[in-house]
Amino acid sequence: MRTIRYTVILLMIAVTSLSSCKKFLDVNENPNEPGAPTLPLAAKFPAALVSTVNQETLQLNQIGAFFGGYWGTNNQGSSSFFDLKTYNGPAIRNQRGGIPVWENGYNNILYFQLIKEEAIADGDAFYAGASKIMQGMLFLRLVDVYNNIPFDEAVKGTEFNAPRYEDGKAVYQKAVNLISEGINDVKSSPEIGVRADDILFKGNRTLWAKFGNTLKLRALIRQSQAGDQAYIESELSKIGQEGSGYLGTGDNAYVDPGYQNSAGKLNPFWENYYRNVQGDQVANHHIIRPTEYLIEQYLLRNDPRLEKLYVPVAGTYQGVLFGNPDAGNPEYDESNTSALRGPAESSGSPSGLFKRYNQPSVLLSSFESLFLQAEAAQRGWISGNAKNYYENAIQESFAYLQVPASEFAAYNGQAAVNFDNASNKIERIIEQKWLALNSISSMEAWNDFRRLGMPDFPGTAASGINGRPLRFMYPETERGTNGENVAAQGSDLMLQDRVWWDKD
Amino acid sequence: MHIRKLLLFSILFFTLEASLATGLRPIEGRVYEQGNGLPMEGVNISVKGTNVNTVSGQDGRYRLNAEVGQVLVFAFVGYVPQEVTVSVNTSNIDVEMRIDNRELTEVVITGALGIKRPSREVGASAEVVGNESLNQGKTVNPLFGLTSKVAGLRINMYDSKVDPAVQITLRGTRSLQRTAGIDGRNPNAPLYVVDGIPVPDISRLNPNDIESITVLKGANAAALYGSEGVNGALMITTKTGRRGRGLVSYSNTTTFSDAYMLPEAQRIYGQGSNGNYDPQSFESWGDAFDGTMRPWGPVLPNGTQPELLYAAPSSDRRLDLFQTGINVQNNLSFSGGDDNSTYYLSAQHVHQNGIIPEDKNNRMNLRFNGTRRFGKLKSSYNINYVQNKKDITPDGPWIGAYRMPANFDYDMIRDWENPNSPGNLNNYFIPNGSWLRNPYFLIDNIRDESNQQIINGKIDLDYEFTTWFSALYRVGLYSLNDQTRSSVRKFQTNRANNTVGTIDDGSNNYQRFNSDLILKFNKEFGDFSTRLLLGQNLRTDYRKSHNISAGNLLYPDILNPDSRVGELGGGAALTQQRSLAAYGEFVLGYKDYAYLTVTGRNDWVSTLSPENNSYFYPGVSASFIASDAIEAIKNTPQISFLKLYSSWNRTGNVTLTPYQLNNSYSQTNGFPFGNLAGFLPDLVNPNPNIEPEFVTSFEAGIQFGLFNNRLNFDGAYVFSDSEGQIFNAPVSTASGYNSAYVNSGRLTNNIIELSLDGDIIRNTDFRWNVGVNFAYNKNIVKELYADADTRYKANFRQSYTFVGEQYPSLWMSDYERDYQGELSDASTENDPIYINPKKGNVVVDENGNPIKATNNVILGTLIPPYLMGLSTQFEYRNFSIGAQFDARWGAWMYSEVVPVMYEVGTHPQTALYGRGENAFVWPNSVVKNADGTYSPNTTPVSNSNKEFWNAQGKIQSNTAVKSDFLKLRELNISYNLPASLLAGQNLIREASIGLVGTNLFIIRHKDNDIGDPEYLYNNTDGYSSFRQIPPMRTFGFSLNVAF
Repeated sequence: MRTIRYTVILLMIAVTSLSSCKKFLDVNENPNEPGAPTLPLAAKFPAALVSTVNQETLQLNQIGAFFGGYWGTNNQGSSSFFDLKTYNGPAIRNQRGGIPVWENGYNNILYFQLIKEEAIADGDAFYAGASKIMQGMLFLRLVDVYNNIPFDEAVKGTEFNAPRYEDGKAVYQKAVNLISEGINDVKSSPEIGVRADDILFKGNRTLWAKFGNTLKLRALIRQSQAGDQAYIESELSKIGQEGSGYLGTGDNAYVDPGYQNSAGKLNPFWENYYRNVQGDQVANHHIIRPTEYLIEQYLLRNDPRLEKLYVPVAGTYQGVLFGNPDAGNPEYDESNTSALRGPAESSGSPSGLFKRYNQPSVLLSSFESLFLQAEAAQRGWISGNAKNYYENAIQESFAYLQVPASEFAAYNGQAAVNFDNASNKIERIIEQKWLALNSISSMEAWNDFRRLGMPDFPGTAASGINGRPLRFMYPETERGTNGENVAAQGSDLMLQDRVWWDKD
Repeated sequence: MHIRKLLLFSILFFTLEASLATGLRPIEGRVYEQGNGLPMEGVNISVKGTNVNTVSGQDGRYRLNAEVGQVLVFAFVGYVPQEVTVSVNTSNIDVEMRIDNRELTEVVITGALGIKRPSREVGASAEVVGNESLNQGKTVNPLFGLTSKVAGLRINMYDSKVDPAVQITLRGTRSLQRTAGIDGRNPNAPLYVVDGIPVPDISRLNPNDIESITVLKGANAAALYGSEGVNGALMITTKTGRRGRGLVSYSNTTTFSDAYMLPEAQRIYGQGSNGNYDPQSFESWGDAFDGTMRPWGPVLPNGTQPELLYAAPSSDRRLDLFQTGINVQNNLSFSGGDDNSTYYLSAQHVHQNGIIPEDKNNRMNLRFNGTRRFGKLKSSYNINYVQNKKDITPDGPWIGAYRMPANFDYDMIRDWENPNSPGNLNNYFIPNGSWLRNPYFLIDNIRDESNQQIINGKIDLDYEFTTWFSALYRVGLYSLNDQTRSSVRKFQTNRANNTVGTIDDGSNNYQRFNSDLILKFNKEFGDFSTRLLLGQNLRTDYRKSHNISAGNLLYPDILNPDSRVGELGGGAALTQQRSLAAYGEFVLGYKDYAYLTVTGRNDWVSTLSPENNSYFYPGVSASFIASDAIEAIKNTPQISFLKLYSSWNRTGNVTLTPYQLNNSYSQTNGFPFGNLAGFLPDLVNPNPNIEPEFVTSFEAGIQFGLFNNRLNFDGAYVFSDSEGQIFNAPVSTASGYNSAYVNSGRLTNNIIELSLDGDIIRNTDFRWNVGVNFAYNKNIVKELYADADTRYKANFRQSYTFVGEQYPSLWMSDYERDYQGELSDASTENDPIYINPKKGNVVVDENGNPIKATNNVILGTLIPPYLMGLSTQFEYRNFSIGAQFDARWGAWMYSEVVPVMYEVGTHPQTALYGRGENAFVWPNSVVKNADGTYSPNTTPVSNSNKEFWNAQGKIQSNTAVKSDFLKLRELNISYNLPASLLAGQNLIREASIGLVGTNLFIIRHKDNDIGDPEYLYNNTDGYSSFRQIPPMRTFGFSLNVAF
């Protein structure tokens, strides 16, 4: 009897202590940061957009600006951006000190993947569609930089730890299809009104569709030399059937989260290349300078954008040699070369690239879209007058850079500018596109150069380097974790191997 | 009190008459313990060769009869035996006994759970470092006092400022994870246990309070601590008072430190560019020094043009930036006790001035240790309070030192506040954002402050129910509070040298509660002895940190986040971790010479999901005292002691920190922007199914003592295999994530440890002891993430983990080389893994310029596989000299100072061959012929100028050297005041004075022109940075008085 009683008491103690033990250990819920279920899509979507536009206007724009003939550095910056200036593929692919285009690109694709999956589960066609369009854009960018990349097995977490690569051309087509799906989804979404969390188009579904179509047009123009005209035609006709058209005058894909005048909250391009929160010059503004070739091109055309873009030195505009072969020549010192111009050098008024700390970030500008349409019209791919697109594009560029509209007529009247005067219309379009996208969407300058060899800006002047950068080598992180797939892509060199649409 | 006479004393005076007298005479005297002068009870005193013996009484007194010429032997367990010859007129012989940590037979170690065990029954390696050895170098941090004194224990100092941090590993790396846990401990650091309580850190402990540190190596000996003991344990026993007269002791140590071993710099060319002088350039690309006076910097506001002698001065000007650091330690302690209780009370104050002007660290320690017996209940308790105030300037001021021309004059820019000083930022020509801003400006305006308070204590209650059963309850609390402030004072100039004012005020609170209930059973059955321990542990860890910051302060004189424009920054984080455990240990002994120990422990931890959070792990070990068990050995007089031991165990480990099972989102990239929130997920793919990792270890060893324990040897072979590690494994980023938590990754260690210790000379007034410890560790990464076929991963900068190589390995860009058939691990062209330690000649192009190879090469490991410590102790009468040498070899190091010195032209290489066009032919270079063969190159490089050398600096192998070194780590010379001097007074019992020094000399690998390989940047391996201050050596004096 007594034994039973003790046993019961002991058992009760054991059971109580076991359950309290479970409770004792139950302290592993994160009280500091929310998990995915806590957050609505509206709290995730803007962050993914900002992350994407940051990569576009900082990392990719910087690579494009150096490889696309816009930027060099003065003597004081001769050691900065050394790997870009010496086309040092192995160093660029390094994890430490390298340039993680691959990693940031796929991370951004993942952000939209998680939003897309949740939106599909919630039946929210707008977020699902917008995410698809953004993913399509990001995949296209990665092909432009690396060529063959994973698509079907990408961003699936541990389901595919070492995703299989696909041919660059196949990824291009799949990405274009993804954008088409995205446009359909966005259009199928009910009217959503003005959405504060859509910091790209404020919930305007038509602009999303136009943006998607412009991305597709960019992808098709990229293939102009690749020889598959039938594919291009069929995609163009799908865009035509869809009917929303492309981004036109006044239609800009600007990301505007409402930058603030606090450290880390300023427009990132402003904060990285111009001024810090206290209004002081940042290091890049001290050392980044236009190339001599770029200055020459503006001067050749008496381009009014030049004085909006750069600070004159002793009355003239002075560029540098990309690659710093002559790092001791005082001609290329900081004080003797033209810095980027902003309000501080313009009596406080907006100037050129720098208007104010809270200016929106450019994902894709109306003038780029208009130049794309000009080229497509010139090639007979779309209807419309190439000259009109061309002139509208220049006018939009003038507007962006604070050049008074009244100056356009004189500018356009010059033989070196006028569309009708050009013997090679494509070249004329690319020249002006190059001048307009300077430091804004510089990636396109490198892309156009690889595609058409235009304009013919000089390569690096650093000693002992032959050739031009044609692509990035696969990153070290990828070689360490997905080595077999990397090896299967064959030769992986920067100056010899081309992306699929680059035919010569 | 009797006038004490040291035994020497009597011998010296009476030896001459020794032969004259015969017959028994009464001898009496007292036995004291050396070091504190306390009387020793129970010392056995015998007359050599007879059966006559006695034991000292409570006050240390003894009395016996002996003849002149006979030898008295004083013996006590754990102390060096003393022998004294009875001489004529001898009637009083006082003896001091010295603790002998080296006597193997009777060593008592502090085992797991703080329970003392005779070393003989332990089946795993354990080494004891006593107070005297620990404090030989008078280090402020006790861990530095252990450096190179224990085989297999590697200790590195990093960020050698006033309060350097420590990297510590015991028996190599077991975990690929480097992220600290909630308690701040690195996953590869051993466990610290102070008086039975596991604590996160002992760096702030007063080393003078430490009686001894038992190093339980490997997982085996620490099996009962389980997860935490997987890397071995440092069992720290603090001092307790002793029964008898109270003891007061005071000591002071004052040392001075100086920077040394800066990387070599060229002294031929001065500032300028392209061979031309430029008064406003800091780069050494100007013309050669010529001894003329030249204008320097811009014209000052008062119209003067500063001038500087254009010549490299005889001294290294870079050292002018550094001052002599001062370190003053004052230590006072009281101890004593009676039959039922003891006490030990101590206070320490440490004041440190760094080698960087205005760097300060002050530490105050208070400790009270006590014991009290209430019948069958024994209690012990202690409380320790530490306050550490630090005020330093972060990296910056000294970074310019590696870049400035050899004639740069620091005195010229010291007075930066003076508007007419060239150092005033309105006049200084170095641009904003550069590393080369005026160092004195940085020192005055950029500060990191910390005020840390630690309170920890414990209560220990041990109740003896019966002779064979007792129960112990032990509870400990550790509480840390750290108030921090990092500030940059705003400064605006009329040029571009503006500094944004920022502030970050932080607070970090950490608390640990730890409780153990242990039941102890002892029983003997004939020849068998048994002991059973059953225990239960409960642990909570709690951390809360918060900070507020402002990124744009308004005024230079108000450092407060309120005086700002823009948004207030900051955040808060709260973390909790809990665990429960049940454990047991069973020891079976046979005839005091064979022991078998079985251990087991089950843990429940909060950081794993409820399905996986319970895990069990066992261990078994055995020891065999052959010198007692085997008659033949027992009867061999040369062999005093011989023990064989072995152990095996499998220890579970959880290196996950709280909240890592699920993905969390956070706001970055400037979010929130006003009302707009924006969250991004973490890029580590979480895994709720993570399980504990397990380390399997095996150890076998032999210990022996020869010639009456004059020569002691300990040798062990250890194998450990850590599998299925909780590993933040890199995965292809095309999966979306950068890495994933998985149970993967495997490392093995094959280790040999040897210690040899012997008294070369041992007699009453002269003793010379030499000890050597050696460890070799063959560490191999067997697997990273097999599912994803991960072959290598980056750790930090050029430090990588490769499957099949040692962890971590140095992987760098290099020149194209002809390899001369020596490519040791030839692989396909696309294979990233080449191994070649800079062998072969450099291949140059048709212009004579070296070619950079496309693929990187693995140079070797960054952690020295060979470690050796050598200690020597001379004692002659009242003098003693102790020295500790430290040697490590077999690894590489690299430095980020080298590329910048190439860039700015201060590296000696940039001046070695002259400058300009066609200045020299690259040494030992070859050209590749069309048929693939190589011919010697005769074409000079195109231009030995900045562009050329800047490019060479980017070839990473130029920054790497072998990190082998041998250094005199500690030297201590001390003199004990002889008893005769202290005679006739009652106040001072003992006094000694001494000289103490650390890092007094170093021998490096001949290629090493980088620095001291021991000093690391942060918690890295073999990496030297311009962010860390140069190494320093210290020298000073110390004084000890006991009352």
